Amino acid sequence: MRILETCSHTFLLLRTPEGSEITSLDGELVFSRKIFCRGAQNLGLGLGITSGPWRTLGPRPHQSPVLSGRRGAGSLGRGVFGFPLSFSSLSHFLFPPVPSRPLSPGPGDAPPAGSRPPSPGTRRRRIPAGPRSAKSEAQDGKLQKSSPLCPPPRLSRNSRPSALAPQLIHSPGAGVSQRVRPASTLASARAPPAPLRTRPGSRSPLPAGIPGPMALFAIFQKTFLLALLSWRTYQSEVLAEYLSLTPESLKVFTNSACQCLQLQWNVHGLPYHQELKMVFQMEISRIRPSNVIWVGNYSTTVKRDQVLHWSWESELPLECATHFVRIQSMVDDAKFPKLSIWSNWSSWEEVHVQDYPGPSTLLVFPKNKLVEEGSSITICYISGINHNNITCYLHNELIHGEQLDPKASAFKLNNVSFFKRSGTNFFCKVNQTDIQNGTTFFVSKVLEEPKNFSCETQDFETLKCTWYPGVDTGLDWNIQHSQSYTLFESFSGKKQSCKHKDSCDWKITQDSQEMYNFTLTAANNLRKRSVNIIFNLSHRVHPMAPHSVHFENRGATTVLMSWKVHVLGNYLTLQCQVELEGNGKVIQHRVDMKVNGEHLFGELVPDTQYVARVRCANAKHFWKWSEWTVENFTTPEAAPSEAPDVWRIVKSEKGSHIVSLFWKPLSKIHANGKILFYNVVVENLDKPSTSELYPIPASTRDANLTLDLCSYQIHITANNSVGTSPASVIVISGDSGKKTEEIEEEKINSTEDGFFMSWKPLSGDVVGYVVDWCEHRQDLFCNLQWKKLGPNTTSTLISSDTFRPGVRYNFRIHGISMKNIAYLLENKTGYFQELAPLDSPQVNITNLTSRSFAMTWKDYATESQPGFIQGYRVYLKARNRQCHPGFEKEVLSDDLIRCKFDIDDPRKKTFIMENLQPESSYEFFVTSYTGVGEGPNGTFTEVTTSDEPYHKLIRIILPMILFVSIIIVACYWKSEWVKEKCYPDIPDPYKSSILSLIKSKENPHLTIMNVKDCIPDAIEVINKPEGTKTQLLESRKPVRESPLIEPVYLYLQDEKKSSHPGSFICFENLTYNQSASDSGSCGHVPVPPEDSPRQLGLLTSPDNLLKTLEKNYMNSLGEIPAEETSLNYVSQLASPMTGDKDSLPTNPPVPAHCSEYKMQMAVPPMPCLPSP
Amino acid sequence: MRGCSGPYQQLLSQLQRQANLTEDTSSLLEPYIQHQDLNTPILRGSCTEHPGAFPSKDALRGLSKQSFLWTVNTTLGRVLKGLVTLQKQLLKPQDLEELETAKRNIQGIRNNIHCMSWLLNGSSETVEPMPTGPGPWLPLTSALGVFQAKLEGCRFLRGYHRFMGSVGWVFREWGESPSRSRRHSPRRALHKGVLKTRIFRRGKRPVPRGHLPW
Repeated sequence: MRILETCSHTFLLLRTPEGSEITSLDGELVFSRKIFCRGAQNLGLGLGITSGPWRTLGPRPHQSPVLSGRRGAGSLGRGVFGFPLSFSSLSHFLFPPVPSRPLSPGPGDAPPAGSRPPSPGTRRRRIPAGPRSAKSEAQDGKLQKSSPLCPPPRLSRNSRPSALAPQLIHSPGAGVSQRVRPASTLASARAPPAPLRTRPGSRSPLPAGIPGPMALFAIFQKTFLLALLSWRTYQSEVLAEYLSLTPESLKVFTNSACQCLQLQWNVHGLPYHQELKMVFQMEISRIRPSNVIWVGNYSTTVKRDQVLHWSWESELPLECATHFVRIQSMVDDAKFPKLSIWSNWSSWEEVHVQDYPGPSTLLVFPKNKLVEEGSSITICYISGINHNNITCYLHNELIHGEQLDPKASAFKLNNVSFFKRSGTNFFCKVNQTDIQNGTTFFVSKVLEEPKNFSCETQDFETLKCTWYPGVDTGLDWNIQHSQSYTLFESFSGKKQSCKHKDSCDWKITQDSQEMYNFTLTAANNLRKRSVNIIFNLSHRVHPMAPHSVHFENRGATTVLMSWKVHVLGNYLTLQCQVELEGNGKVIQHRVDMKVNGEHLFGELVPDTQYVARVRCANAKHFWKWSEWTVENFTTPEAAPSEAPDVWRIVKSEKGSHIVSLFWKPLSKIHANGKILFYNVVVENLDKPSTSELYPIPASTRDANLTLDLCSYQIHITANNSVGTSPASVIVISGDSGKKTEEIEEEKINSTEDGFFMSWKPLSGDVVGYVVDWCEHRQDLFCNLQWKKLGPNTTSTLISSDTFRPGVRYNFRIHGISMKNIAYLLENKTGYFQELAPLDSPQVNITNLTSRSFAMTWKDYATESQPGFIQGYRVYLKARNRQCHPGFEKEVLSDDLIRCKFDIDDPRKKTFIMENLQPESSYEFFVTSYTGVGEGPNGTFTEVTTSDEPYHKLIRIILPMILFVSIIIVACYWKSEWVKEKCYPDIPDPYKSSILSLIKSKENPHLTIMNVKDCIPDAIEVINKPEGTKTQLLESRKPVRESPLIEPVYLYLQDEKKSSHPGSFICFENLTYNQSASDSGSCGHVPVPPEDSPRQLGLLTSPDNLLKTLEKNYMNSLGEIPAEETSLNYVSQLASPMTGDKDSLPTNPPVPAHCSEYKMQMAVPPMPCLPSP
Repeated sequence: MRGCSGPYQQLLSQLQRQANLTEDTSSLLEPYIQHQDLNTPILRGSCTEHPGAFPSKDALRGLSKQSFLWTVNTTLGRVLKGLVTLQKQLLKPQDLEELETAKRNIQGIRNNIHCMSWLLNGSSETVEPMPTGPGPWLPLTSALGVFQAKLEGCRFLRGYHRFMGSVGWVFREWGESPSRSRRHSPRRALHKGVLKTRIFRRGKRPVPRGHLPW
């Protein structure tokens, strides 16, 4: 560049007659008018000429400046030093491939050569213009699209706001190409600032002089070229006036919302009324001009004095770095192929959006950025604070960025995903301070293409278009609303915004437009998605559902259905589908119609409800069926069409027939309406004139008749509101029911399908056979079932849903004669499924002996069991693990052994156990079994055999003999004791010692009895009251004669027993006290004397007592004459005594009833008393 | 006044309960923090009430009853507008249903405040002049950026909850000392409330009007 500007004053000298270019003969090599002037003046220098972007080459040790060309291929010739040079090697050297690199290069990336300052030893290059690739567009900046997010651009610091014309943002389209230079990376931004001078006046160092031998060749070459140039310059003299097409008045505006640089410039020097296709090349640098981050071309047609606009979007927020922009242009018009040379670069325009913050400020950018899911976003902050003290977070996670310069850092987030409608928060904080700032960016879901887009009309007035919208891409904070939908019809050119997200109504105009070409466009802030359909209106008819459906009955089995459809134009024929559902069937018909449709349904079932449906569609161009219109109707009733199915049971009883009639309700298809009643007509065949009518209510299914032994014919009919059914006829003959008992019952087996049975045909003509059946033991009142069969049938399978397992069914097969008389042919019985017996027999034991016993179960009902009883099984618990002969040993799971015996005859209900051990226990259990298994397990019954007879006798007689013997011996040994106890001798009073004592006074030889010989606890007292004694002593009258003689009691306190008030010992003279004896009491009213206690106190001492006794006794004896002295007996009355011996009874003791015992003792005479 | 037939104590009790209910940050602030993805310690630390945005507790306690009721009513009116603003930022308001619930609660409180004012003054009385303050302020989104707007919304809601807690405190004081009456100028109380000083101007006690329960 310096070279160019330096030699500008020599330009005319180098210009060819045609203009400023020198081309090769083949036209491929275009020589620029930019010539190294110094080289022109000094032929010792190489001459570098290029047609396109060119580079100035500094002196290199191995290479001289050479001519170079954009499309040159093959050998250009030899250099000034005679070294062969090829264009391929040269272009590779001069224009090394520019790799597509990400925005953030690795730290090891070196700044490109082009970013270095032009100085000796370095080289500058211009990036050749070429087609712009989409890939390169995505590398760093990209061309601005129109976006609602982009507010009016902001004029950069170096721009003039007044220059803002109405914004016309040119989309580069195919006319824009770009190339990202390696210097566009963030890493290059970190390169140390290097001044780049873009002003004219710079000079490029030239190579040193050329060696002498080459001078002649150089001079010749130079002369030739100069001559050629002069000729070309002369030819293009006129156009040279318009060659100065450098963009001028470049202004750069910024838009922070979209991070856009918006360029505005114009091109002077174009001829009036002349349009020229031009290519503009822009270079954008960041932080410093030399750090080119983006190069691109923009092609457009330019008019004279036209203001051009172009926009570029930066990935890095503009606030975080200063940007520089410059532009150059080139004519790219086929009409002027010779003008295709690049103009000079405009001067760099510096764009500085945000002033660097102070030392306590932290700013984060961009604000409210909207990106699409899967894309990348770069966030940056600028701050005057040391970056080491700043931490940044995405959500709540710490992330690390890349420092752009001492005041800015950037964070690139790749492949971002949707997080929330409220956005994603990114914030930074200065450590140990409250300084923090952040931003929220929004990730939109990718707008989906509308699916299932279709349009249709129901009335030729409105087209209803529907689609499936997909995900809602709306975001909070009014960043992005839900996607909008727009309908555009290309034929009419009309456009309509849709109110709903999934449908849109399009008004059909009356201009009879037939073809429609709709484009549905979904749009949000980031992109648009469109789908298109084209159709003929008549092919998209979706009729409305038919209406005014009516039914007209034409008899009980025919109905005429009619309906209408909404008018769709006279030319449109509809095809309608009619469905009739009823009676378990669906009938379908198709009817063509225009406005009114009808269809006649026949062969319907009377008194049946039907559901009729109708829908219609375009007959010629089917699109969609309309909705169904559904209506119900019911056919009218008709007379029953069949006779009721009737059967009977006849029982003979006391000279009459009891006939039970059963009939099945008519099926709906035969009833033809609601059955109101049945008529039973009984006709006596023996008396034809006699018949009786019995109306039976409809709810009744049977009737009983008692008939005499005549023959009767019975007619049964069913009646509804319309009429009467045909009659069922049954004949009861006079001998009906007699053969029932004579036919043997046969067992039959069943299958899964039922009971299969066969029979011998009835001799003679028959009209059919009837098989009836009942559950066992439900003869007359069972739920009789029957099946009527044809005359040629001799076997059938009886199947019924009512058959149940374990239930016994009795079947009877009748043959029906021509006279409608039924004859019983066979009896059969069987189980639909046999089960094991429900219970086991109750066994009675009989004939129990010492060697055998019998078991009987006569009452066991085999027919009530859920299977045929095949026999019985007798179980006997084994004794010593051995079984009786005939029994089968069976080992149980618990190692127990039982013996089993099977009785195969179910009629045998007695079993005799023999060969048993006497007086032994046997445990048995009897159960029954069917073909399925045996009855439930029960408890074993224990039976003990009796003993042998002589054993019984020995057991009885021997103990008896032994017992008797022992009794005899004992009696012998204890005869005296027995005598004393059992029959003691009554003492003879005359042999009493008392008597001897008395007599001893008269007879000194009498023996004196010592009182100590008496029993210590027996006190003998002879007592008399003083008065009595005195009286006795004085009067000497017998005691019995004195009225004062009464029983006298002596109260004695027992020493060992407590002093219970009522406890005492009384002594009573009864034996010979006649008066007392006569009273019959042992002292019932012996009122004790008042001083009894005192006397008791005296008598408590044995000595005192003895003394008293002795004294009184002696006194009395002394005063009684001998002849009058009789032997006194004392009766002793004892009563249990309790209490303290020291406590005297305070109440007079009451003698207990004399029931304890009486002891009679002889009172010893005086000498028995001890001497004081 | 229709619908204000309840006794004073019942009305006061209901106002206390409503204040307690709305004081709870889980009723609105926490859902807002979750919805706006502010649930980080740093951002929670930044979610502090703007000083002066809502009347302080001391300022409220220094007001006469009528002035207090008027202040609460006015403040809640502004809160309602703020909630509507927040609601408009949502693409789908059902994403934060608590906002709608809070609006209904505030409307209920305001209704009860009207009734309480009517009970205190009688239907013929007019509300005494009310002081004007800055009131709760919710800046527009475009001026700050969404991030700052989120934080402002958070601060606004935190102030709202704190304010309702102060309101509940005052209502509880009413219940504890029914004869208590504020004396000083409401306007002055509001202005001084920020300084957390209470000024009582004796001799200017508001004359009880209406059928007060004491």
